[in-house]
Amino acid sequence: MAAEPIIDVQHLEHTYMKGTPFVHQALTGVSITVYSGECVAIIGHTGSGKSTLVQHFNGLILPQKGKVIVDGADLSDKKTDMKGLRQKVGLVFQDPESQIFESLVGDEIAYGPFKMGWPIKDVRDAVKGAMEMAGLPFDAMKDRPTAALSGGQKRKVALAGVLALKPKILVLDEPTAGLDPRSGMELLGRLKTLNEQEHLTIVFISHHLEEVAYLADRIYVLDHGKNIGEGSPATLFSNKKMLEKYRIGTPETVDILYRLQDAGFSVNVAHYGIAEVASQICSILEHGPRRDRYDTV
Amino acid sequence: MTRFEWSRKITIGHYIPIDSIIHRLDSSCKLLGFTVLIVAIAFCNSYFGNVLFFTFALFLFVLSRLPIRYGLSGIKPAIPFMVILAVLQLLFYGGGVTASGTVYIHYSFLLITSDSVRLVVVSAMRFVEIILVSSVLTLSTPETELMHGMERLLKPLKYIRFPVHQFSLIIMIAVRFVPTFAMEMEKLMKAQASRGAAFGTGRWWQIIRRTKDMFPLMIPLFRSAMARADDLVLAMECRCFVPGQSRTTYRRGKARSRDFSFLLIIIGFSLFALFYPFPG
Amino acid sequence: MGKGLTTRRMVVAGVLGAISILLGITRLGYIPVPTPAGNATIMHVPAVIGGIIEGPVVGLIIGLIFGVSSFLNASIPLFKDPLVSIVPRLFIGVVAFLVYIGLKRFNKYVAIGAAGFFGSLTNTVFVLAVAVARGYFTLPVALGVAIANGLPEAIVSVIVTLAVVAPWKKIGASRKKKSKIS
Ligand SMILES: Nc1ncnc2c1ncn2[C@@H]1O[C@H](COP(=O)(O)OP(=O)(O)O)[C@@H](O)[C@H]1O
Ligand SMILES: [Mg+2]
Repeated sequence: MAAEPIIDVQHLEHTYMKGTPFVHQALTGVSITVYSGECVAIIGHTGSGKSTLVQHFNGLILPQKGKVIVDGADLSDKKTDMKGLRQKVGLVFQDPESQIFESLVGDEIAYGPFKMGWPIKDVRDAVKGAMEMAGLPFDAMKDRPTAALSGGQKRKVALAGVLALKPKILVLDEPTAGLDPRSGMELLGRLKTLNEQEHLTIVFISHHLEEVAYLADRIYVLDHGKNIGEGSPATLFSNKKMLEKYRIGTPETVDILYRLQDAGFSVNVAHYGIAEVASQICSILEHGPRRDRYDTV
Repeated sequence: MTRFEWSRKITIGHYIPIDSIIHRLDSSCKLLGFTVLIVAIAFCNSYFGNVLFFTFALFLFVLSRLPIRYGLSGIKPAIPFMVILAVLQLLFYGGGVTASGTVYIHYSFLLITSDSVRLVVVSAMRFVEIILVSSVLTLSTPETELMHGMERLLKPLKYIRFPVHQFSLIIMIAVRFVPTFAMEMEKLMKAQASRGAAFGTGRWWQIIRRTKDMFPLMIPLFRSAMARADDLVLAMECRCFVPGQSRTTYRRGKARSRDFSFLLIIIGFSLFALFYPFPG
Repeated sequence: MGKGLTTRRMVVAGVLGAISILLGITRLGYIPVPTPAGNATIMHVPAVIGGIIEGPVVGLIIGLIFGVSSFLNASIPLFKDPLVSIVPRLFIGVVAFLVYIGLKRFNKYVAIGAAGFFGSLTNTVFVLAVAVARGYFTLPVALGVAIANGLPEAIVSVIVTLAVVAPWKKIGASRKKKSKIS
């Protein structure tokens, strides 16, 4: 892991609707650190404050209490250049296709770069690069009407619209929610490539532990506005106590391993990749001590 | 606090829950009475009539026991507009086709007559009266009550085949969806800001830029409204909703003699102030 | 167009009415322009869209909702007059509908744009006509306002109406076939 922190959040608190009867503290003290080049997942129940937290990363919400430092810039400092920050930190909202407003794909993706005031040639290059990264062939797609795209394509357009700003950090709020499984898998693959080959730092929120297991180097668990756990997928998924305490689901493969363990088989829960689980099951079938307790398996 | 956090704070009504005669009035009588009053004020052109209406508006405010500053707070920000309007009316209306009456000043294009002065004074007074009266109504009635009042008020129109139920349902859907769209709008503003949009930073004279700034918000907002409409239609039809079929409603109080006397007083007063031939 | 308030028409009227109210109470629907009429508004666009897609009754009801909410939220003398803020709005959706119906045989896309334009113009012209009749403005002032407010309003109306209604009516893309970056 590169050792240089690119997002550093310390004791962050946030209260919505201060001074009204509906006051609600969404963040009660979050501290997380994301290192340059990492892919970090944030998981937790609905309402645990995940979306609130990530909206701090590009200054949509400013810290009320605590510190947020993004790529060296302190967000509490009034002089921080917000426009520059939003360019550096690309935030993809949940259901980002709902924000599409231009009638042509190319124009939609070029919106951000034009807003940045880049010259037309740079805009074109940025759009081209972003479309390729998102899996949209530039020449075939740039003049297509946005209204006629499929759900998966629209999401790619929205993703490209953020990538076109050439961010250093990509933040995604539930990136695969609402997509069909195939488009979801494809999107995850693209994010993995972006992280590994383009060296983009990625932070994403997810409810699917399968995709967390597939993509993340490290996980933060949020509960009631606090981070209550942190670690690599392997260490986190083998911490059965915590998983149970906070009722965090596990990927299906981990589930299978735990149930095998409960049934008395010796398995290694830290090896939860699909291939690894398959080979563990095979080895149990071949050599494992057979018991008469199939009913629990 | 940031400028993106507003959606859950918006309110449609401005109801202030205190107790007063006005608060306790039956909502359909109240609605009808205040509507008559506002229309009467809008048509009142005499000094005397407006003085009467103004006094009556103040009287209603006192009766409602609402702090008068709530009424005044609607007037203060309008003062510059009132001044501009008054100046425009004074400068230019004297020569208007409808102008007549005694000439006070006539200096080249400037023509000030008793009629143009009356116009200035009367429109300013009307504005203040309507602000006061409509604030009493909205401050003393929760919006759900207003809707029920409206529905009951329209009920007799059923006999001329006016679709009362449907109409009420439309208003209910409209009010119900405002907070939903407010949140949608907040999300859209955040999402577009994330890709470089900067709302409200254009200067006032950059009309084209400010106009263009609306598209990234308005187009998705309308689209999502239409999508929600589709969903809701489907949901309603799945539940065998039949438009116009009478629904069971629970009665919320009944108008009593006090409510009717209030209504009669307001109508009587309005007619008097509007039609009595005051001198001048 | 069939008759009567179907479920769909009621829902569309309600939902678009909600947007009209929202734009008014949050002031998001205003483009400030320096005239005595205060702001250019796009609060009439829901009535235009409703009129085009669901007919004159829906357009009229949305116009009424817009009118009442603009009356209640008004902060300047002109619009605290129900004759100015409510009555003219009733015609926006109706005119938009008529223009759309009249032109759609020639070209649907043009018909939608024209409906957006004339719906907006109806608002501007009727409001100012009543304002003049009621003695708020003289004709020259009204003409000035018509240009300063009416023009941006009409532009927004045309573009938003087209962007929303054309895909909704499944009319193939605009005549614009190339993106700006081509
Ligand atoms: N704009 C807002 N105004 C008021 N409360 C909000 C707002 N956004 C979120 N909340 C509240 O804050 C809490 C945390 O929300 P959120 O960060 O969206 O959680 P998550 O993304 O983990 O589901 C929730 O209780 C939610 O209702
Ligand atoms: Mg969330």
